[in-house]
Amino acid sequence: MSTPVTRRTFLASAATAGAALTIRFPLTGPGAADGAATYEPNAALTITPDGLVTVHITKAEMGQGVGTALAQIVAEELEVDWKDVRIDYPTSDPKFGLMLTGGSWSVNWTFDALSRAGAAARLALIDAAAKSWNVSPADCVAERGVVRHLPSGRALRYGEIVARMPITKTFSEEELKQITLKKPSDYRVVGQWIPRLDIPDKVTGKAKFGIDTFLPSMVYAKVVYPPVREGATRTAVDDSAAKRVKGYVATVTLPQLVAVVANSYEAAVKARDARKVSWNPGPNANVSTESIFAKFSQAKDDSNATPWHEQGDVKSAMSGAARRHEATFMTDYVAHMQMEPMNCVARFADGVYDIYTGSQFQTFAVGTLAATLDVKPTNVRIHQQYLGGGFGRRLEPDIMVEAALIAREVKRPVKLIRSREEDLRRDFYRSATLQVVRAGLGPDGKVVAWENTLVASHPGKRWGPDFVDKKTGLDQFALNGADHVYDIPNQVVRAVPVETGIPVGYVRAVAPNYTFFAVETFMDELAKLAGADPVQYRLSMLGGAPRLATRPAARCRWRRSCAPWTAASSSIPTAPVRRSKARCSSASATPSRNAAPSPTGRSHSQTSTTTRCSGWTRCRRSKSTSCRRPSTRRVSASRARRRWRRRSAMPSSRRRARGCARFRCCRIAFSRLFARGRELAARPGRPRGGRGGRQRECGPGCGPGPRETTQIDNAVRLSWCTDS
Amino acid sequence: MATLLINGKSQTVDVDPGTPLLWVIRERLQLTGTKFGCGVAQCGACTVHLDGQPARSCQTTVAQAAGKKITTIEGLDPNGRHPVQLAWIAEQVPQCGYCQSGQIMAAAALLARNPNPSDADIVNAMSGNICRCATYLRIKRAIKRVAQGGRS
Repeated sequence: MSTPVTRRTFLASAATAGAALTIRFPLTGPGAADGAATYEPNAALTITPDGLVTVHITKAEMGQGVGTALAQIVAEELEVDWKDVRIDYPTSDPKFGLMLTGGSWSVNWTFDALSRAGAAARLALIDAAAKSWNVSPADCVAERGVVRHLPSGRALRYGEIVARMPITKTFSEEELKQITLKKPSDYRVVGQWIPRLDIPDKVTGKAKFGIDTFLPSMVYAKVVYPPVREGATRTAVDDSAAKRVKGYVATVTLPQLVAVVANSYEAAVKARDARKVSWNPGPNANVSTESIFAKFSQAKDDSNATPWHEQGDVKSAMSGAARRHEATFMTDYVAHMQMEPMNCVARFADGVYDIYTGSQFQTFAVGTLAATLDVKPTNVRIHQQYLGGGFGRRLEPDIMVEAALIAREVKRPVKLIRSREEDLRRDFYRSATLQVVRAGLGPDGKVVAWENTLVASHPGKRWGPDFVDKKTGLDQFALNGADHVYDIPNQVVRAVPVETGIPVGYVRAVAPNYTFFAVETFMDELAKLAGADPVQYRLSMLGGAPRLATRPAARCRWRRSCAPWTAASSSIPTAPVRRSKARCSSASATPSRNAAPSPTGRSHSQTSTTTRCSGWTRCRRSKSTSCRRPSTRRVSASRARRRWRRRSAMPSSRRRARGCARFRCCRIAFSRLFARGRELAARPGRPRGGRGGRQRECGPGCGPGPRETTQIDNAVRLSWCTDS
Repeated sequence: MATLLINGKSQTVDVDPGTPLLWVIRERLQLTGTKFGCGVAQCGACTVHLDGQPARSCQTTVAQAAGKKITTIEGLDPNGRHPVQLAWIAEQVPQCGYCQSGQIMAAAALLARNPNPSDADIVNAMSGNICRCATYLRIKRAIKRVAQGGRS
């Protein structure tokens, strides 16, 4: 489905007066990870005779400010004044390679390629100017959109060069790689706080989202969706009443869908409601939360479950453990709930489908549309608009397929807008999950064995073979994070994919939303079981990257845990603690916590297999009543940040009283950091689960050393700044 | 047929009087700054001013709006330089931006009747406007900036 790029030559086309210089070349992306899609990001920029530089942003703008960020990268190496930089969001084209926006990948996947795009353009402009002056390019420099010949002081603006001179310099892939880029210390655009380029239009209502598209003689469609999300079949259609609705245009009856078309949105809604369609609800008619979790519960005991990640000998380590602990974690389905309901405008004319919408994954959409509509991929064009929120929902091309099919039938441009209710019902949700985590502790409280069984639906299979692990058939995006960063000698993650009749997709950070919930909550419980401070306990298992824990601890102003029995550790350690010194207070066991209400009352249940430390019970009865509130188990990142800010303004005595809250924030911090840390550790091969992340693939600057520190610093910063 | 006074201009549209004002503004008159978010007055993305008061256009019929002065984001200021819009840029409020027309209209109405709102006033007036990107802190700062005459 991705388009392999074969042409690797940089072309700076000759330009004559009045023409624009378009600099375009396929850029090699990071090597594709085993079992993942091939990633080939691509960049383009145009310089017009007026000196304006338009950076073509092939990433979706959905609030993350990606357009501004990518333009900064180009502007830095191009040596152009920021005021002369513009951006646009081009229509899908094979020349752009893989068009995919997600996973917080946009900047770090394209940074090098876009830097080289800017630098190559600068060198080509310098070359053209030098030729016109008949001097050596080595004597010329470019700054702020002007090429200067240093010995003579002659100067030409970029716009003038584009308008008047032939630009002939080309770069092979090898030459592109050899371009010396600026040192970070010389950056003057990258790293600067720059107002976002998309904001002015977003405060005046001028910004065009997919839903704001109008085409001449456009009609409005409403699809009659079945009462069951998947598996229902149509038995009869009666559109006699719909025909009487004022503004009714047509009915489209296809194997895939039934839709009514009218000349206004209101008329389409009325006609849709007037239509009678009978359905056979199919095999999923009785699927419910109860039936799904019953299925999950059964699946977790599947002894044939594929080990997704395995090291050491869990079985014998578990049986030899001094004590064992087990907990079950359940999470619900999650809808994307982006503000802009799914919508699409489609036109079919002269064999070409023009699709107007906001897409996070144009490449996938073009492939899906071409296959469904039986046309060449080059006959499908996706005209990118602003996205009123993405969160992974706009990775899916479902609405485009519907709109294109209807447009083909009615032979007029069609606007299809889902209502909020339809948007929610037709989502591709984050899967519900059931995770059973077991651990064995040694006599010193250290974790010697770890076993996690993860039951969930995997989206990857639906997307195609590139999205699942070739060996196991598992979707790493449904699992990553379950193979945490902790140094535990014996560990296994067993994956049990289950189909439930509810289609699943990728939502926000995908698996870590539920895997970290289980891992970090369980880690807290183990720390209490071991009688250790939770930060110290984690540090003892983070030999490779202690900053992952110390930085968030510092952010939280972590002093000591809420549990009164914790050995005093009044300050954050500056050096990694390699071995836990904590001892488990085995004498202070209390009855099982099963009798206590479930912390969330819904999504989390605890199964005790061993006695546990008294500290746990005490902690749960501490002054911080918020401990028991369901919402506190899953704190949103923005809430967590707000809490940190509030706490930083809080007197220290009050901070201590709110130890429990502090602890929870730490947990969130850990989770975020670990996700980012793993991603960075896994460079350059992406995307991948944490599984591959452990096998570090070192390139220049990827190994231990000062660069490593910078990367982790970036990880820390990004994890607090990234919202979308 | 209905005649609507939108952004100072009288416009006649051929619609059923029960049609939600939102669809007339957006799809008939193509003033697309006003957004469709939920259709049931729960998100605030469709907020416009009716005689200066904030209203959810998805739950306002054409009949209810007829004869009233309707202001959309496009008509808030002829040059898009209303103090609230300027503060929104200064504080870099929007992320995806889809809810922001509604947020700005709600904030402008709040500031028109209460030029110096307290935190509680802001929360009260703005709580009906949902932002999925969670730009709430910046929205609050931008409103305070307007209250302080454009200074942060």
